[in-house]
Amino acid sequence: MEPPAPPGVWRATWWVARKELATSFRDRQTAIYAVVLPIALYPVMFWLMIQGVLLVQGRREHLAVEVGVTGVERVEPPSGLAEALLRPPREEDTPANTPEGEPLERLEATWLEPAPSLAEAWERELSAEEPELRQDALLFLAAEGEGPSRIAYDSTDTRSSLAEQRLRKRLEAFAEGRREAAAEARGLDPRRLEPLAIERRNLAPDEEMGAYILSILFPLLLVVMTVMGAFHPAVDLTAGERERGTSETTLILPIPRVAVHQGKILAVCASALLATSLNLLALGLSAGHLLEMIAQGKGFVIELPVSALLSIAPLALLFTFSVSAILTGVAALAKSFKEGQALLGPVQMIFIFPAMTSMLPGLELSVGTALVPVVNVVLAFRGMLRGDSLPLEYSLTALSLLAYAVLAILFAVRVLSRESLGVADETISFKRLVSLLRSAASAR
Amino acid sequence: MESSPTTRALPGAPDDSAAATPAPVAIWARALCKTFQDPERGRVEAVREVELHCRRGEIYGLLGPNGAGKTTTLRMLSTILAPTSGTAEIDGVDVVEDPLEARRRIGFLSTSTGLYPRLTARETLRYFGKLHGIGEGPLEARVEELVEAFDMGAFADGRCEAFSTGQKQKVSIARAVLHDPPVLILDEPTTGLDILASSAMIDFIESSRARGTCILFSTHIMSEAERLCDRIGVIYGGRLLAEGTLAELQERTGEAWLDGVFKALVREARGEEPAG
Repeated sequence: MEPPAPPGVWRATWWVARKELATSFRDRQTAIYAVVLPIALYPVMFWLMIQGVLLVQGRREHLAVEVGVTGVERVEPPSGLAEALLRPPREEDTPANTPEGEPLERLEATWLEPAPSLAEAWERELSAEEPELRQDALLFLAAEGEGPSRIAYDSTDTRSSLAEQRLRKRLEAFAEGRREAAAEARGLDPRRLEPLAIERRNLAPDEEMGAYILSILFPLLLVVMTVMGAFHPAVDLTAGERERGTSETTLILPIPRVAVHQGKILAVCASALLATSLNLLALGLSAGHLLEMIAQGKGFVIELPVSALLSIAPLALLFTFSVSAILTGVAALAKSFKEGQALLGPVQMIFIFPAMTSMLPGLELSVGTALVPVVNVVLAFRGMLRGDSLPLEYSLTALSLLAYAVLAILFAVRVLSRESLGVADETISFKRLVSLLRSAASAR
Repeated sequence: MESSPTTRALPGAPDDSAAATPAPVAIWARALCKTFQDPERGRVEAVREVELHCRRGEIYGLLGPNGAGKTTTLRMLSTILAPTSGTAEIDGVDVVEDPLEARRRIGFLSTSTGLYPRLTARETLRYFGKLHGIGEGPLEARVEELVEAFDMGAFADGRCEAFSTGQKQKVSIARAVLHDPPVLILDEPTTGLDILASSAMIDFIESSRARGTCILFSTHIMSEAERLCDRIGVIYGGRLLAEGTLAELQERTGEAWLDGVFKALVREARGEEPAG
């Protein structure tokens, strides 16, 4: 009887990849690194940041801030406002209730010269000859029927942010008191009266500030998560297979060897991509909620535009292919899982160290840096998050990433194709590693 | 690519013309050599000029101590390793020129059983069946047939990592015969098995011969070779020292038992004086 005809290369690659991926995710370590960690990382990281914020909160409560009150010339400040501004809104922050007998969340209000507009009053503050006399925030009182009163502050300045928070709380308490008093005088339900309208005006470039912070952290984390997502499957599907003695059975399959190797690389890549995607998703969700909690009133606004994530995705895909192929190729040189882990430890640093350039001020994506592996991808991610328009540099980055990915896949297939690595029980030595890498690189 | 029938005349192949109706030659190796470059030992000749053939319905035992070159020979014949020189054919297909076609005709069983630990027995069979090109419907039927034939129903949906040695061996055999290959290459198939599993393996080899399968297996267990093999090849230091039926080897060496035959052939290869 004639044996059945085996599948073609790509179909075989797909089946091998599916099987490798399924078995990989039945390994607990792979599941943790590719799924659990990316999902848990950001919430945990931001929770730690919140704890840090809470830790310094105590010190902030003791900090006194100064607020200037102004308005157009014809505005009369409402009666009781001066006292209301000096009084902490919470009873427990008054001197009688604090352990030290000193008020917490102190605010000192100064009545300033009238100004034609909020912007001009703020400009006047900024141009003050002595910066230490500059007000941390301004309250610009609106004339009757001329819209809401406004608070001006700079979110990039901690003192100014604190001043805005404290001022707003006091004004809200003052307005509520006035509303209740007016309602009582007229015999009305206080809810039927309009509250005093107050508008916040952040005069710092908030979004730029948030994007800046995000663009420092995110590219590095993305690279780290991609490497971690590829790490375990790469070792498991190569060195792990040798250790388990399953490589012979794989090599006896009636399909081209290249399909087996491609299937392995594809499976590692899928795992790394899953880690990267979950990473992006977790970051998006965290940025939308937890980060907002931190950012609110703390001096910056964090926004993660979907467009930035979408533009990052193709570069992330190419980068993932490179990382997966290199890690798979190198892990294939090891004969046991443990040896593979030891071998990939330093190799993952080849990706992580250059990724730290995202934290370097002054280093930007250029025609030159667009060709430097890893550095190009983090700088491109950074630029995209900041909204920098660099079409030439992004295109060059994409092209160089594509070239590196192809080279990495060729390298991995070449290494995996070595029959001595498929079935031999040799131990890797540094000399042998160098010789194998050289022969893999110089092979046709 | 379709292969030619196995009955074509091969240069240097065994002459079938004198036999009445000889079974076709399914494994044929000529001057097979394998050389490795070892970092410590330098150039190592693992297999030197090995010549052998095995017909359908025949069991050929490759007998030798550890490191003799048995596994390397079997790996070359099953296309896992490429020969450094020499040639081999499986069911008429050249293993170097068309390894894929050759692999379609081989059922291979390694010492370690080689099962993916995180796949179930059924998943393993389905995976290998798919990659052998068996269609979905026939594959399901074949998997169930094998599950029943090897009495694997109780554990077929469990992961291989949890199986006993005997259960692993059953799955391994089922995987090797899934595509109904005309040639079985078994590398020390009873090593590490308990008495029951070992006995089941021997039964399987005998029943495969009865079905007309060509079986080449390596062993260092003399009793196994004596009981099962139609012909025996004695391999030592990478060289095939002698081959033939047990009676032929006994006659050649003047020894009554296979271990004596083996020792006599090794002494002869070393150029030592015969014992006694």
